[in-house]
Amino acid sequence: MAECDAEWELCKENIQPLRHGRTISALHQALCHQHEGNNTALNQKKQSYESELRLYEGDDPLDVWVRYIKWTKQTYPQGGKESNLSVLLQRAVRRFTDDKKYQDDIRYVELWIEFAEGCSDPMDIYRFMQAQGIGTMQAALYIAWSEENEKRGNLKMADSIFQNGVKCGAQPSEKLHAFHRALQARVCRQMMSSMTDQKKDHDDDEDGEGSEEPQRSSLVELKAKGKKKAVVPINRASASVGYARGLHFKQPLGPKQNSRLEIFDENKNPETEPQEPRLEIWTAPPTARAKENEQKPEKWTNVKLPLKSRSGLSVAVPPPLPTFQPFVEEDHQPPAVTPCKINPAVNSVLSARKPCRVQETPLKMLSQHTQHAAEGKPREQSMYCKELLYCGVIEFCFEELRAERYRQKLQTDRQTD
Amino acid sequence: MSLFGTNTGFGAGTTGVFGSATTDSHNPMKDVEVTSPPDDSISCLAFSPPTMNGNFLIGGSWANDVRCWEVQDNGQTVPKAQQMHTGPVLDVCWSDDGSKVYTASCDKTAKMWDLNTNQATQIAQHDGPIRTIHWITAPNYSCAMTGSWDKTLKFWDTRSPNPMMSLQMPERCYCADVVYPMAVVATAERGLIVYQLENQPSEFRRIDSPLKHQHRCVAIFKDKQNKPTGFALGSIEGRVAIHYISPPNPAKDNFTFKCHRSNGTNTATPQDIYAVNAISFHPVHGTLATVGSDGRFSFWDKDARTKLKTSEQLDQPITACCFNNTGNIFAYASSYDWSKGHEYYNPQKKNYIFLRNATEELKPRNKKW
Repeated sequence: MAECDAEWELCKENIQPLRHGRTISALHQALCHQHEGNNTALNQKKQSYESELRLYEGDDPLDVWVRYIKWTKQTYPQGGKESNLSVLLQRAVRRFTDDKKYQDDIRYVELWIEFAEGCSDPMDIYRFMQAQGIGTMQAALYIAWSEENEKRGNLKMADSIFQNGVKCGAQPSEKLHAFHRALQARVCRQMMSSMTDQKKDHDDDEDGEGSEEPQRSSLVELKAKGKKKAVVPINRASASVGYARGLHFKQPLGPKQNSRLEIFDENKNPETEPQEPRLEIWTAPPTARAKENEQKPEKWTNVKLPLKSRSGLSVAVPPPLPTFQPFVEEDHQPPAVTPCKINPAVNSVLSARKPCRVQETPLKMLSQHTQHAAEGKPREQSMYCKELLYCGVIEFCFEELRAERYRQKLQTDRQTD
Repeated sequence: MSLFGTNTGFGAGTTGVFGSATTDSHNPMKDVEVTSPPDDSISCLAFSPPTMNGNFLIGGSWANDVRCWEVQDNGQTVPKAQQMHTGPVLDVCWSDDGSKVYTASCDKTAKMWDLNTNQATQIAQHDGPIRTIHWITAPNYSCAMTGSWDKTLKFWDTRSPNPMMSLQMPERCYCADVVYPMAVVATAERGLIVYQLENQPSEFRRIDSPLKHQHRCVAIFKDKQNKPTGFALGSIEGRVAIHYISPPNPAKDNFTFKCHRSNGTNTATPQDIYAVNAISFHPVHGTLATVGSDGRFSFWDKDARTKLKTSEQLDQPITACCFNNTGNIFAYASSYDWSKGHEYYNPQKKNYIFLRNATEELKPRNKKW
C-alpha cells in the first residue's frame, strides 16, 4: 500500500477532474488495481452492478444507475473507452426517457447534462430535453445549456435561456439568478475590454502593420522557415473549441475587431442561432457521437497515378532481384513458431478491413424512427427478454440471468435461516 | 452402478411408446419419454462414447443434479445414478472410455464422476460459474477443458488442484466445442476464438463473428477424412452460421441460415424470432439438428443447404439435444430456458427428455441411390 500512496502523484495527468471531486481512497484503490493489473475485483464489482440493474425490484431503479455511474467515474480515473462511461450514460438516460416520475429528478437531469457534455453537439440534447419536458423545472439544465451557448459565443441566446428558465420557474431559483447575474457581469466586462481593444487596434492600425495577426502571449514570435515565407497562424484550434472565461474572453464568431464593415459570408456559421428554442417533436434522443479516435474518412489526395504500361494493363513491376546472396550466419536458426497444424498456409495475418459503419447522426436516427412509425409494425420481433439481456453496458445470456437470480435466492434463504 | 434412491419410485415398465393417448402438446412428436427426468430445467445432455457397450445418457439440470440413464435397444430408459453439485449444472461430458463423467457447475467447480464407484471428486475451480467442460485426449496429454464466466479457459489433468494451463479470454465464455485437435470457444460480445490442441493448447485464431447477435451454441463438424474442419454457430436471434476454418473460397463456403422463427411469409404480422439453444451434428451423416426457444427441433443438411425436417411445436422451449454415437437416437430436452425472464418461469411445469429415432430423418436427401 505504501508504494500505492505515491501512485496518484505519478498519474496526476491521467486523472480526469470530476465536478464533485474524487474520494482519495477510491482513487488510491483504482490506481492500485491498475498498477497490479488486478481486474478480477473490478470485474466482479461491475458484474454485481450489472446484475443489480436487471434484478432490481424496488421503486427507484434510477438509484442503481446513479450508483453504478458514480462508481465507474471513481474507478476509472482516466475515463476513456475502458470505463464505457458514455455508453453507460446513454443507456441510463434512454431508459427513463418516458418515465414521468424522473422528469424533474435532479439526479436524472444531471445524468442528461453529463451525457450532453460528452456529445459532439450538446445543444441538440438540451433542446430534446426541453421538448420532452425533462429537467425543465431544474435550474441545472438552464445553467448547462446557457454555458454551452456562451462557449460558442452566442451570448444573446445564453441570456435568453436563463430568462426562459426563470419564466418556467426552475428551482432552485437563487442559483439560477446567481448564474444569470454572473453571465451578465461577464458580458459587460467583455464588452468593456473589447471596446478598449478596439481602440488600441485602431491606434495600431494607424501605426501601419502587424496588428492583424494575434501575438503569442508566451514564447517567441513564430518565424518562417526555409524559402517559403508562410507563417503558421498562431491560433490553430477551431474557434468553438478555444474557450476562456473571464478577462481574456474573446468573441470567437464576432466580426474582426479592426474591420468596420461586416461582410456577410455564407460559409461562416450564422452568428445567432434561433432566438427562441424551437419546440420540435423529438421522438428519439440523439446519439452520443463524441467517440474517441474516430476519424471521418476523407479523400486523401486528388492525384491519380497515371497508368504507365502501354498495353493498358497496369502490371506492377517486381523489384529487380539482388545480384548477390545475402549473408546468413552459420548458426542461424529460424525463430520458433507456435505449432499450428490445422492449416498454417491460410493463417492470414492481416484481415481485410471491414467497411465503415454509416455514422448515425441524431437526425438520421430521428428520420428512421419516424419511418418505422409510418410503416406501422416492425418486420421482425425478438421473442426473448432483450431488454434484460442488454440492460446495462455488458450483455448477459439467459443462463447468467438465471444464475444471478439463483444466487440471490440462495442468499436470502441463508439470511432467513 | 447404484440406482436412484427408491423414493423416485418408477418401474421399468413406465417408459415405452405412449401412442396417441396424449392430447396435450408436451410431446407432439410422439417420442419416447425418458423416465424420471430432472426436477428443473435441463441444461445439457450427452450420450456415452462408442467405447462403451450400450447407450448411456447423462443430463445435467438447474436442480443441481446430474443423472445417468441407460437407454435400452427397445427404447426403454432405466435411471442408473445421480450426483449432486451445490449449484446448477451447466455442462457435462464423457471421458473417452466412458468410465467417467465430467460436470461443470454454477458453484464454480467442476467434478469428475467415476461411474464405477459412483464417487465424484472436484477437479477444477474457477472464480466464476463454469459454463462449459470438454474432455481432451491428445497423444501426449489428456485433460478437461473448462470455460468460465470469469473470462478464463483452463485445462486440468484431474489430479492437481492447479490447472496445467490457463488462457485468458476477452470475454465470458458462452459456449464451446472440442474435436481434437480443434477447440472453438464463443464468448460474450460476439467473440469467437479457435484453439489448436496439438502438443499443448494454444490460441490459433480469433474470428470476426459471422453473426450479428449474441452467441449461444457452437458445434464442430468434420470433413470426409473425419478431421474437424469448421463449426456451426447459433445465435440468440434465430440464425446459424456455418463457418469453415480454412475454406478454399470463404465467400462461397461460409454462410448463415435462418431458423427457429415463425412463418415470415405473412407480412401482416411481424416474424417472431427465437433463440437457437443447441446444435448437434449427426455422427454418421454429418447433418445437423438445431433446437430452439420456440419449442421446435429442426434437421438440416449443411452441404445441400436444405432443411430436412422441422418438428411440431412443443409447449416448452427445447434446451438441449444430442445424438448417440451410432446416430440412431436423437435426444432432446423440453424445459424452460429463461428466454423470457423469471416471470415466465413455472416451477410446477414438468421437464421432459425425449428420444427419437434418427436413422432415417437425418439422411442427406440428395444422395443417389
